[in-house]
Amino acid sequence: MKGSFKEYIKIAVKNLKTRKLRSWLTIIGVIIGVFLIVSLISLSEGLKTAVLQQMRMMGKDLVMIIPGDISDLMTTLIGGVELTDDDIRTIKKTEGVDFVVPMIYKAEVMRYKNEKKTVILYGNPWKEALDVYQKDMGWTLKEGRWPIPGKEEIIVGSLVPEEIFPGLKVGTDAVIKGRRFEIVGVLNSLGSKQDDSMIALDLTIFQDITGKREGASMAFAKIKSGYSTDDVVEYIKDNLNETRKRKRGEDSTSFSVLSSEKITKIVGDIMILIEAVIFGFASIAIVVGGIGIMNTMYTSVRERVKEIGIMKAIGAKNSTINLIFLIESGIFGMIGGIGGTLLGVGLAKSIELYLQFHPLFYMKASASPGLITFSLAFSFLVGCASGFFPARSASKLKPVDALRYE
Amino acid sequence: MQSLIKLENVSKIFRLGEIELAVLKEINLEISSGSFVTIMGPSGSGKSTLMYLLGLLDIPSKGRILLEGSDVSKFTEDELAKFRGRKIGFVFQQFNLLPNLTALENVMLPMIFQGIDEDKRKEKALSLLNSLNLDKRINHRPSELSGGEQQRIAIARSLANDPEILIADEPTGNLDSSTGKIIMEIFEKLHSENKKTIIVVTHDPNIARYSKEVINIKDGQIVSNHLASEKVLWK
Repeated sequence: MKGSFKEYIKIAVKNLKTRKLRSWLTIIGVIIGVFLIVSLISLSEGLKTAVLQQMRMMGKDLVMIIPGDISDLMTTLIGGVELTDDDIRTIKKTEGVDFVVPMIYKAEVMRYKNEKKTVILYGNPWKEALDVYQKDMGWTLKEGRWPIPGKEEIIVGSLVPEEIFPGLKVGTDAVIKGRRFEIVGVLNSLGSKQDDSMIALDLTIFQDITGKREGASMAFAKIKSGYSTDDVVEYIKDNLNETRKRKRGEDSTSFSVLSSEKITKIVGDIMILIEAVIFGFASIAIVVGGIGIMNTMYTSVRERVKEIGIMKAIGAKNSTINLIFLIESGIFGMIGGIGGTLLGVGLAKSIELYLQFHPLFYMKASASPGLITFSLAFSFLVGCASGFFPARSASKLKPVDALRYE
Repeated sequence: MQSLIKLENVSKIFRLGEIELAVLKEINLEISSGSFVTIMGPSGSGKSTLMYLLGLLDIPSKGRILLEGSDVSKFTEDELAKFRGRKIGFVFQQFNLLPNLTALENVMLPMIFQGIDEDKRKEKALSLLNSLNLDKRINHRPSELSGGEQQRIAIARSLANDPEILIADEPTGNLDSSTGKIIMEIFEKLHSENKKTIIVVTHDPNIARYSKEVINIKDGQIVSNHLASEKVLWK
């Protein structure tokens, strides 16, 4: 019967070819669904990889302290909640903390040659923390050198000479708030547009020119060797709670202390959630494609009642009729799957290419063999499943009724 | 001669809502191997229903149909399909070729359903088409062929699995008389030379002349069963 199977495929293909327009319309329905799944999943997968990679740059013995609750991150970011100097001091004094690197930034206008642009200035305690930036936060130099603490020198993110001040060169000067700084280094990409657009200078000079002396948007604490990260996270929490309650009489304190592992996990979970949502919506598109197949197949069964009767009269079994129709709907699914996958991978790759030249964030579209196999198998299955009921209704037709049908 | 198909008190009743319509009433009939039978009757007489029952395309509401001694009402749908495929060849008034397939593919189709190898299939189909002078038409689709050609292809298809029985339903109904004559001569030859059992359903007395036995049916009952040579009911 194996030889016959090949023949049934030929018959099915001929049937589809006689209804070319309708077949293609049906296939396009599937293509759209598969295209959505493949492109969106490969993009979100790529995004996940990129974000997690960025997370991994953060050293294991680094703890992040954010004002506000992690579950309410947007409020913290938009509302400008800050850690106070008291908080920073408390963290510094906590057992197991080696030193604290506060993250302090402010938007200021910078003039380079004749161009003026608003940039984000970062105040960095070079003296204490240069080591941390290099070892734990993954900062590396593309060119130039690191700044000398206390000197009016700046280093810039990798996007600054490319996009913000095109043609900016190491060794030249820039003016911020009337003071002249020498650009001494350019960093390699840190993986996000925001980080790569930064202008970093010494904290004390930063405080001088911006007038910003209090608070930090967040802080990193480096843990002394020999202490467990989880323990120190707890110590910091306890101390901050106590200080805030005692000093300010706050009943509820709100801040988050996160180890790099915890952050990676939170971000990873969010990404998985995003992927699941994307997958859910894209699946709906495939289901719609499947309904299209079902519709076409039912119409086809209707039109071919007589043909089914003839085939039964000359010896086709119910299972044979069933098989022929299933092959037809399976072909819809498969061609739709192949087309959708090709288009999806194509779109994902072009977005990847686009981002290489116009970086918004860095990512590789990850159309893994697993995803491709999955989408092909899934669309084929959807095709077969959509054809199941139409094929069954065709196979159940009584030969007499089918032959009499006009 | 041995009995090939035997109908015992066969009735076929159709239910149309509340009304029961007995299309065939208590039919008793025996068709022996190697015979050439015409079933004649006006439209609505039940002759087509009788043909469908003889061709195992339908099962009776009452009574038994014995094919070579076994009761077909006990067969599953797939067993019936297998019997039809191997033992019975059909020729229809509308030719009923599959429009998407070429002449050759149409003739090979019954053999595909029986799982016959491609080489054998092709060889057999080509020899059948040759014997019916269709060798120049093998790659044409039905829509590109004349009625007579289509009917000859249908005959070739009906012979694909070497069935013992050929059932033809108004085989000349859509053909002009000279083409019809050619078709009937083919049946005659298949009967005399190839010893096929042939059952022709028609309302046309001229067709009945080719057969050896005529069964007249009216209002679902057999009104006469006689040798064609007796020419009783020919008007």
